[in-house]
Amino acid sequence: MKVTFALLIIVFLVFSGYRLTFRHFRLPPFARRFYLTGIEFLLLGLLLGPQFLNLVDVETQKGLAPLSALLLGWIGLLFGFQFEIKKLRRFPLEFFLAAILEGLMTLVLVFAAVYLTMALCFDISDSLTMVVAITLAAASGCTAQTGLAFLSLDSIDKHQHTVKLLRFISSIDGLCPLLIFGLCFFYNPSTGSDGLWLGGLWQGVLTSLGGSFGLLLLFNLFISHSRLEKELILVIIGMTMLTSGLASAVKFSPLLTNFFVGFWLVNLSKDKERIYQILMTVEKPAYLLLLVFIGVCVRFDSIWLVFLALVYCLYRVFGKFLAGFLVTRLNLEFKKYPNQLGFGLLAQGGLSLAIFLDFQQTFPSRISTLVISFAILAVIYNEFLSYYFLERLFKKGV
Amino acid sequence: MSRYKQYIPHLRTYGITLFLLAGFAFWIKIIDVGSNWQQAGLTTFSLGFILLAAYITAKILRIAELPLISGYIFVGIIAGPYMTGFLTETMVVRLRLVDDLALSFIALTAGGTLQMQFLRKRGKAIAVNIFLLILIVFTLVFFPFLFISNRLILMPDLTYSQIMVLACLLGVIAVARSPSSAIAIINECRAAGLFTATVLGVTIAMDVLIIVFFTLAMTVSEIILGTGTAFDFQMITVLSLEVAGSLVLGIVLGKGISLYIERVGHDLPLFLLFFAFSMFKASIWFNHVMETHFAISLHLEPLLICISAGFSVQNFSKCGHIFMEGLERFALPIFVLFFSLAGASLNLDALCMTWPLTAFLVMVRAIGILGATWFACILNNDPPQHRRIAWMAYITQAGVAIGLAQLAQRRFPELGVYLTTLVLAVITINQVVGPITFKMALKMAGEVKQE
Repeated sequence: MKVTFALLIIVFLVFSGYRLTFRHFRLPPFARRFYLTGIEFLLLGLLLGPQFLNLVDVETQKGLAPLSALLLGWIGLLFGFQFEIKKLRRFPLEFFLAAILEGLMTLVLVFAAVYLTMALCFDISDSLTMVVAITLAAASGCTAQTGLAFLSLDSIDKHQHTVKLLRFISSIDGLCPLLIFGLCFFYNPSTGSDGLWLGGLWQGVLTSLGGSFGLLLLFNLFISHSRLEKELILVIIGMTMLTSGLASAVKFSPLLTNFFVGFWLVNLSKDKERIYQILMTVEKPAYLLLLVFIGVCVRFDSIWLVFLALVYCLYRVFGKFLAGFLVTRLNLEFKKYPNQLGFGLLAQGGLSLAIFLDFQQTFPSRISTLVISFAILAVIYNEFLSYYFLERLFKKGV
Repeated sequence: MSRYKQYIPHLRTYGITLFLLAGFAFWIKIIDVGSNWQQAGLTTFSLGFILLAAYITAKILRIAELPLISGYIFVGIIAGPYMTGFLTETMVVRLRLVDDLALSFIALTAGGTLQMQFLRKRGKAIAVNIFLLILIVFTLVFFPFLFISNRLILMPDLTYSQIMVLACLLGVIAVARSPSSAIAIINECRAAGLFTATVLGVTIAMDVLIIVFFTLAMTVSEIILGTGTAFDFQMITVLSLEVAGSLVLGIVLGKGISLYIERVGHDLPLFLLFFAFSMFKASIWFNHVMETHFAISLHLEPLLICISAGFSVQNFSKCGHIFMEGLERFALPIFVLFFSLAGASLNLDALCMTWPLTAFLVMVRAIGILGATWFACILNNDPPQHRRIAWMAYITQAGVAIGLAQLAQRRFPELGVYLTTLVLAVITINQVVGPITFKMALKMAGEVKQE
């Protein structure tokens, strides 16, 4: 009963909140910034969670786990749909390289910093250190477009080339981080033992590739005949459930598996537009639901979290600045973009949060809860910093 | 045979799809599932599997002109705890959450399908059908069961009064129908016309009346067993209040839905999903609160509320068609899951244990329905064809009957095992046979618009 009750409250709040946040609510600029990023839903989740109202207690969270898996799958599928090669080819290759490099460089820098910090300051097993460092680094590599949404039309018009590049980067720079995040699942610290990573890796890669191929084949068989819209809805819901469920059951990431399926679908399926429209129908409620679910997992039980979040946020900001700078030095063509390109890439957004939720569900422990808690705080810092640095970028920029 | 040749490529695709699905299901079953996240994964996978497998199986069976819901039920039976065990009993219970949502959703659809102008026109015919169905089906189940139970000493540990109560409850439960199945088949065939509308009206009205009839039967049973002293008029008053309260609340909520459609309009399917789900749970919560905090036993009936809400939107607002379109959008996955899980819940063990008695009960019930609908058609001056086929539309039974049996089991635990086992076994047959006969009847009546 409690699971149902909690689900009802969450769905009600998300549904009504989605209308307020994305549709009809007019607020002063500062409050709008707060609302548009959806931070209030993180706080809502925190309020509903065990730390405050305890409406969504640990048992209820277990009951809602299938919904989390479905949610992660849906987000993965949507992210996969962003990689339609035909559309990506409309942009210069340099854009693509810039996005990949930016994501990868941020990831490497943050990984090194987090790994070293954890190895020096905390007494936790090497395997868990590795998983936490990969997760935090992968989430750092992703960028959201929320910051760009606040730009005035005038500003966009004035700096249209930079805005175009920033939009492109922020929509696909999560690719490498997400793929690398997948490595965590071959190195499960709760079951695996140190030193067996490579052996497990190959077996895991083969299993997940085989599984993804099978699922993709299945998806294609379902949509091989023309389907009515209601049938297509059934197929998408069913396939996302199947894929997410299978991924979770074999201790792999529902987010990543569905990303693969989404990627292949958008490039191979005739029905991609119709599928995309259906996926988009619940995109925003799904995003807000993700925020609430993540909020529920958070525990702010130590003041140290504020400090840890600050450190993590600084690592990310530094990583983004440096990666942005290096991207502008890629070739002569890129010199026309401002050195401080990284200033425009600070908003962290949905994919990072999905990575955190995936990590928390797969590796549930005291440490993962702690990591999620300060990482979420860092996401909030990043959202506010992103606005400030975007303004600076466009004042100082081209 | 040549008619079926055109389906061969489809069948090939469906076959490969099912084979792949079964392969994944086999794979997941041999995985060692330990953590909570893996368990959740297994549940999510099972839901996805059921949804897709049922959808494809229904497509295959449709080639043989069987109704889609037979396919869904068939997959549920195969995947359920009594056959392959892919869905365990615990899992089926856990997935009941889907049932609540689906039932409310189906009830909204049922209400939305009923049109005032038609009810005005066919009100008398519906009333005659209901009266005769209750009278004849109850009589034909009650007396023969009482007779053979005593003659053959089928239940040696029960007294005569207990057997009489058992016969009475079985008679009442035999009257119950399955509105969800009826609506699913009517939707599938896009059936419309005199016959369809009468069947729908009877089925939905019966869903309301059966609760009243059952409560009366429970009171009489208590008197027979000596646990109740006299006819409880207070109970009847409370029951009337419950029914009236649910209907009024439904109309008010229906007005709310109309306002939402007119003023907001966006995301209607999502809104209706949320409405359906919350309505069911809110009623249960309200009933619980009234009972525990105020010691008032006032039970609002979620299905009645939803039927009334759907009826109100369809008949007292201008947005009936938008409302029905909104329901239609998510109806398929909900129907598929609901009927597959219903199939998984069908108790094959009970059927194996009691099959001679079950076959007898199924037969006398069908004869009762045939008699009732025959006379009703004569009294209503319906076309002669309807006389011959009307009985086929009233065979299906499902959740309501199970629910009533469980209520009776709680009240009379000494009869519970017999009652539940027999009811489950009878429903297993009726739920499999009923949709097929109903679809045949709609076809024979010439009211199938599209398949």
